Amino acid sequence: MSDTSDQTVVETPHGAGKSDMIVLEGVEKIYPGSTQPAVSQLDLAIPQGDIVMLIGPSGCGKTTTLKMINRLIEPTSGRILLDGKDVTHVNGDQLRREIGYVIQQGGLFPHFSIADNIGVVPKMLGWDKQRIRERADELLHLVGLEPSVFRDRYPRQLSGGQQQRIGVARALAADPPVMLMDEPFGAIDPITRDRLQDEFLEIQRTVGKTIAFVTHDLQEAVKLGDKIAVFATGRLEQYDDPDTILTRPANEFVSDFVGGGAAVRRLSLVELAHLELHPIETDERAVGGHNGTAVAEVDGSGKPVSWRHLPGGDAAGMPLVTVPISGSVYDAVDVMLDGCASIVAVVDEEGRAQGVLHWNDLLGGLRTRERHS
Amino acid sequence: MNYLDYLASNSQQILFLTQAHFLVVLIAVGVGSAISIALGLALSTGEPDPPRLSFDWFAAGIREGGLVFTAALLTVPSLALFALFLPFTGLGVTTAVVVLTIYTLYTVLRNTVAGLTTVDRAVLESARGLGYSRIRRLLTIQLPLAWPVILNGIRVTTLISISIAVVGAVVQGPGLGILLINGISRIGAANSFYQVLTGTLFCLVVAAVFEIFFAIVQRLTVPRGIRV
Amino acid sequence: MSAPAAPVVGPTDVEPEEEEKTQSTFARLWFQHYDLVILPAIIVLVLGFLLIYVSTRELDTIEQRVLAPANVFGLLRQHLLLAALSTILVLIIAVPVGILLSRRAARRVQGPVLAIGGFAQALPPFGVLLLMAFAFDFGVTTAVIGLTLAALLPVLRNTVIGLQQVDQSLIEAARGMGMSSRQTLFRVELPLAVPVIVAGLRVALVLNVGTATLASYIGAGGLGELVQQALRLNRINVLLVAGGIIAAVALLIDWLAGVAERVVVARSG
Repeated sequence: MSDTSDQTVVETPHGAGKSDMIVLEGVEKIYPGSTQPAVSQLDLAIPQGDIVMLIGPSGCGKTTTLKMINRLIEPTSGRILLDGKDVTHVNGDQLRREIGYVIQQGGLFPHFSIADNIGVVPKMLGWDKQRIRERADELLHLVGLEPSVFRDRYPRQLSGGQQQRIGVARALAADPPVMLMDEPFGAIDPITRDRLQDEFLEIQRTVGKTIAFVTHDLQEAVKLGDKIAVFATGRLEQYDDPDTILTRPANEFVSDFVGGGAAVRRLSLVELAHLELHPIETDERAVGGHNGTAVAEVDGSGKPVSWRHLPGGDAAGMPLVTVPISGSVYDAVDVMLDGCASIVAVVDEEGRAQGVLHWNDLLGGLRTRERHS
Repeated sequence: MNYLDYLASNSQQILFLTQAHFLVVLIAVGVGSAISIALGLALSTGEPDPPRLSFDWFAAGIREGGLVFTAALLTVPSLALFALFLPFTGLGVTTAVVVLTIYTLYTVLRNTVAGLTTVDRAVLESARGLGYSRIRRLLTIQLPLAWPVILNGIRVTTLISISIAVVGAVVQGPGLGILLINGISRIGAANSFYQVLTGTLFCLVVAAVFEIFFAIVQRLTVPRGIRV
Repeated sequence: MSAPAAPVVGPTDVEPEEEEKTQSTFARLWFQHYDLVILPAIIVLVLGFLLIYVSTRELDTIEQRVLAPANVFGLLRQHLLLAALSTILVLIIAVPVGILLSRRAARRVQGPVLAIGGFAQALPPFGVLLLMAFAFDFGVTTAVIGLTLAALLPVLRNTVIGLQQVDQSLIEAARGMGMSSRQTLFRVELPLAVPVIVAGLRVALVLNVGTATLASYIGAGGLGELVQQALRLNRINVLLVAGGIIAAVALLIDWLAGVAERVVVARSG
């Protein structure tokens, strides 16, 4: 799978070790009747198994770029390689059957049942009925919808979030190595969107697809992306991992685009699991007051319920708030602000305390520790 | 002789003319709808705004032109069209069917075009993205989704055709119009009023039969996921 | 004959990547309204064809008498009079009733009226016209009454449907700003409904011009007389000319109404 195109790619700082699944070489799109290219001389390589977020202001060419990968839009010039194979001139319909595609409103076929919707590509690829049905059930499970309930329903009987899950399932149906997603969660309310993003990452951990994902939401790009490609009027301005985009924007456009909130957004990149937390003692073990260690009282199942002792602070006046260790520093800050607490207990899946994070850590220590991750 | 007596004593003739009326409309609507739907499908472009000078652009042009032309035909009074076709197709059934067929074109074509082009863009886009070819998209996505609209067009055109078909009697076409012509030419004579009344009202009977027919067809052919 | 309904427009939420060209006013007008030229072209073509056809024929005396300009224009005047009178009557009756039916209080009657109106499309205007001759007498008055009755339901139906489509949010906004229901009707709903009313005018005209061709069967004259005479005298030439003239007149009137409709719609934005 190693291909020679790697050399032509301008920026692949973290692509080493993985072969590139999707490669665009000097791709250009000029719409008929227009002199300005919508996408000009674009080189982009997406390593296998990565999620690459295409982001930029509207009309910047990110959607055009995405649609050129499966040739929904034919490039004016340049080459597109998929897994090392030049697909610039193969039959577009055949090509698209081997690439998953998810769009904003789901685009489910209203006159097909859910199972039939999921089975459209396998059916075109000539799978037998039994296999298609089993695959549909399997994918319904994967996206967290009970097959016996949803299999025979119709799209309009589903909520927007459910429809979008089916859209993802449908794109995964024939197990394509590559998925293209065009603002899939754009039309969904923020709470559901957040959940769908988490589920999406969960699914990606099991399926490991190579994904190009268009979004206009920087938060989403930072949360989901292994890499982010920032576009401005048809040009790729920067292509890097999220942290680099946020901390070292390549030029003024990117730093403007990333905007003032960059420091806060970066917090969501730092996972609590990767931090060295302050130790925490629970009242079962600790009897005396260790001055430097927080001590929490726990309930029967070992979950902390209140503070008994805080280092240099008033334990009685401080509410005990917790954040799961699977979350990010962003989540921890959110919990602290929400609970009016300057300290938060980090808990594992069973709810047992693993450590504490102080508000002051954000100002001082976090930066140094962040290098660990 | 009251009306019911008239109906009873002339039931055979009335039944025959009603059937003939039904058949003429059925044939005309059948042929006209087939032509219109075929035309609508052949000229369908999938996207509402095709780029200039592409095949789709020409197809869209022909489509729009066809709509303007058939709409114009619909405004031509039926008597004029019957008169214009008479020298070529002669007195009788042929002229009646040909002219009626012409009148069915616009409504079905308009609804076919509207139905096909108003299919949700997201649905079409995802169909393309999943590798549906143009023909497959047209036949398995657009047509089923447009079908309720097309069917309604056929329904409306049927109702209109029923009322136009009576004028066909002027060129000795079959159907209930014969009762109207007979009645008015014998005005003052026995039963002439009943004849005209029957010719008019039984059009509604024919319409009712068609409405039932269409309700059944709709039940059977509109996909479950989009049924209202 | 059904009303030519407004064209259905697809959603246009495309990415704003298409270029916008500034065209001259004339070019813009042409692109927006080039379809308006088609109809007159057809009319000219049909009439030209007829003229050539007739001029190549030897007309006998009967044909000459029927097709004499005085005769044709006399019938045309009768025809237009019938159509105009019945159209005015239809509008006077159908538009106010349509507006009444679109009032909140009458909402419940609306559905049945629409259903009956739809079904009544199958009721032949020819039959209605002839029945009037039994109720009254042969002649122009009867014909006008018959034409009016025949066109009433279709126009009423069209008006109600058109008014339904008047943007409800605007009406709500007007009510929200404190306009009374009366003020809303006169200052918001009716101005917005003007295109609907003009469309009703067009429908009525087309229907009445068509049905008026049949008025000759109850002795009210009109261009149908030409067809009737041609059939009675078995004169193919007269038949063709009559058919052509009627078609041309109907198309021309519909075209004029269409232009008027477009002007009004453009004015009211």
